[in-house]
Amino acid sequence: MAKTAQEKADLKAERIYERTHKKRYRTRPGDVVFNVLNYLVFTLFTIACIFPFYYLFINTISDNDLVIKGLINFVPKGIHLDNYKSLLNVSDLSNAFIVSIARTFLGTALMVAASGFVGYLVTKQEMWGRKFWYRFLIITMYFNAGLIPWFLNMQMLGLTNTFWAYIVPGIVAPYNIILVKTYIESIPAELEESAEMDGATYMTVFRKIIWPLSKPILATIAIFGAVGHWNSFTDSLILMQSAPNLYTLQHRLYIYLNQASNLSALMESGGQVSESVIKSALSGKVIKYTISMVTVIPILVVYPFMQRYFEKGIMLGAVKG
Amino acid sequence: MNEIKTKRESISDKLYYPLRIAILLSVLFLFIPALNPARISGVMNRNMSLFTSGISYSSLIDGFGRAFRKGWVMESSFQLLYGSSMVLCLGIIANALSGCASLGNIKMKKLSNLITVISCVAQMLGLVGIYIAYSQIAQTEKPKKIEPLFPDGFWFVAVVAIVTLVLSLAQIILLSKSQKEEKFEMQTKFKLFLMYMPFIALVAVFSYLPLWGWRYAFFNYKVGDSLSMDNFVGFKWFTELFNNPATVRDIVNVLKNTLAMSGLGILTSWIPMAFAIFLSEIKSIRFRRFVQTFTTVPNFISWVLVYAIAFCIFSTDGFLSSILVNTGVWEQGQNLLMGNEHTWLKMWAWGMWKGVGWSAIIYIAAISGIDQQLYEAATVDGAGRFQKMWHITVPGLIPTFCVLLLMSVANILSNGMDQYLVFKNATNADTIRVLDLYVYELGIGKGSIPLTTVVSMLKSIISVTLLFLANGVSKLIRGESIV
Repeated sequence: MAKTAQEKADLKAERIYERTHKKRYRTRPGDVVFNVLNYLVFTLFTIACIFPFYYLFINTISDNDLVIKGLINFVPKGIHLDNYKSLLNVSDLSNAFIVSIARTFLGTALMVAASGFVGYLVTKQEMWGRKFWYRFLIITMYFNAGLIPWFLNMQMLGLTNTFWAYIVPGIVAPYNIILVKTYIESIPAELEESAEMDGATYMTVFRKIIWPLSKPILATIAIFGAVGHWNSFTDSLILMQSAPNLYTLQHRLYIYLNQASNLSALMESGGQVSESVIKSALSGKVIKYTISMVTVIPILVVYPFMQRYFEKGIMLGAVKG
Repeated sequence: MNEIKTKRESISDKLYYPLRIAILLSVLFLFIPALNPARISGVMNRNMSLFTSGISYSSLIDGFGRAFRKGWVMESSFQLLYGSSMVLCLGIIANALSGCASLGNIKMKKLSNLITVISCVAQMLGLVGIYIAYSQIAQTEKPKKIEPLFPDGFWFVAVVAIVTLVLSLAQIILLSKSQKEEKFEMQTKFKLFLMYMPFIALVAVFSYLPLWGWRYAFFNYKVGDSLSMDNFVGFKWFTELFNNPATVRDIVNVLKNTLAMSGLGILTSWIPMAFAIFLSEIKSIRFRRFVQTFTTVPNFISWVLVYAIAFCIFSTDGFLSSILVNTGVWEQGQNLLMGNEHTWLKMWAWGMWKGVGWSAIIYIAAISGIDQQLYEAATVDGAGRFQKMWHITVPGLIPTFCVLLLMSVANILSNGMDQYLVFKNATNADTIRVLDLYVYELGIGKGSIPLTTVVSMLKSIISVTLLFLANGVSKLIRGESIV
């Protein structure tokens, strides 16, 4: 089986490590202590990072009576999926789920397309006033008018309480444009030049050459963009004050977490709860856990894919220009 | 032959600047509700722009259902208003397109002029239509219910349309007969610029236009009011910030929290570096990747979810309580999220939990970039493990560290509000309220717009100044800028 580049790099790193560390060392007692401590601290911290997710998960699938008594701490007991099924009946939750999904997909797609195109355009030296317009864009990363002027502006534009408030302001993302620009500059210029010689327009060059070649960086920004959209919460809080049907999932979760933790509160808030749910004695605690789990699952699902990209992303980010 | 411009051509070129500016203005009018010429009644939504009036009939007649039924106003005058607004919008959009086309060759310019003239005439017709609709509505029996109102924006739009018309007529006269130019063409530089322009427009609207909101700092504004010279108060809110004892107390408290929590972050900003260094001392690659993978997860969940995690671990019936109660250490569960003690430390700890694995990645990458020969040489010279860490790895990471440190100094006032908002409760409000959260609570929650605008303004200016200072320091020390 062919090894991936990552594995090869790992092997190489290991060899170098052995050369530099292993050979010369007689294991001294101090080293043993250091190693043990080192492993211990990292193990503990890693557990602290993942255990809460596990705890959350086992509490949502275990027998609700045991959960309420606080008996599910390490091992799930009486596994069932009723909690998840019953969430389907809470209408404002599924609504929020749809809003979050929609904004994540649409917002990310538009952002990536725009970043790719603008990143390509700003590499074109022959553009009228290129330097000025590029700076015009980049400066906005370091300077903003502040929360309240921003809010008033959105209000003035009539975007408050509309779905587009989630999408349109995020289309142009200066940082991502820098990443794409840097990447495109590393593509050999001959490719473009030869196409231009054959009479290809800028659009054709972009579609046929630049876009396919810059897929790795586009994937990187797509992942970061999608996570950002999925996680964003304050824009829903500030801009959708009188449009509860446009709340994002994060915002709903926030509301539920702050609620007086019982079923009646859930019913008052407009979510329709069916009889069967009440019978199954879904307590406030379990609801909160289940909603949290639903919100976190998409992130955990895409995380393994993300991992491939974010190291690349963060390194490219270090090279600015 | 064509190289030398005739006098005519140069005049024409210059005249295009005011023409394009006029067109730009009319496009701006399209989106600014305060200048909506179609808002002919006080009942209509204050936040409706001309663009909205032109595309959505339902928002135009919103609130008039009763008036139609009772016959106070005729629905036909609203249909006229809607049609006129739509014509006006289309005229302005056509103008914008022709303004773009005017960057092309003479043949394109001619076409552009023609379109401009036609669309200006259309705009005039639209304005006349709006005027007729207004005069129909003004004759209503119930002026109190309908509140007929002659829109200020009417004259702005009319003046701009007339100016555009005059200028484009002048252009038609000035433009020389085309020398049989066969095709519509445009120079490459302008073509590229036009492709870029929509994005510039987005940035201008969402990042630069908010600066226009800074004017609220100088008015006595309440939500729903309009700005006029009557409520202009000059620097009252600026002095209020320093003179009103209640506000001063709030601000001092808020700044204390902000600086304390940012300060904690800055003081411990070496931790991710240490994390990376100690992680790279671990021999097993598998274990290293394992740690790296799982400590990065918290970075990708939102603060709301972090709060959900905190809730499931530390609340009254959470993990910790149930363990301690079941083992008999505690008599009953305690909610550790409540309470006012050590708020700064707790917030710092959550920040660390969420961010340390992620922040370490950049250092891990930097460590792999350090020349391995240095380690080999040091080993040959008999350097021990810690000596190598201290004398090779740490100096190799210091440049990265410095950049990040300077950035965090520049961001000392902006610690974001998500984290503090979700962790805030009745008991810890005083110690958790940072500047961003304060602005949110006061501005959005209590509607104190002018004061919070002042705070936003000052914060923006201070942040930019700090950024420049940090950049200057970086240039001085390392000869490299960080922005």
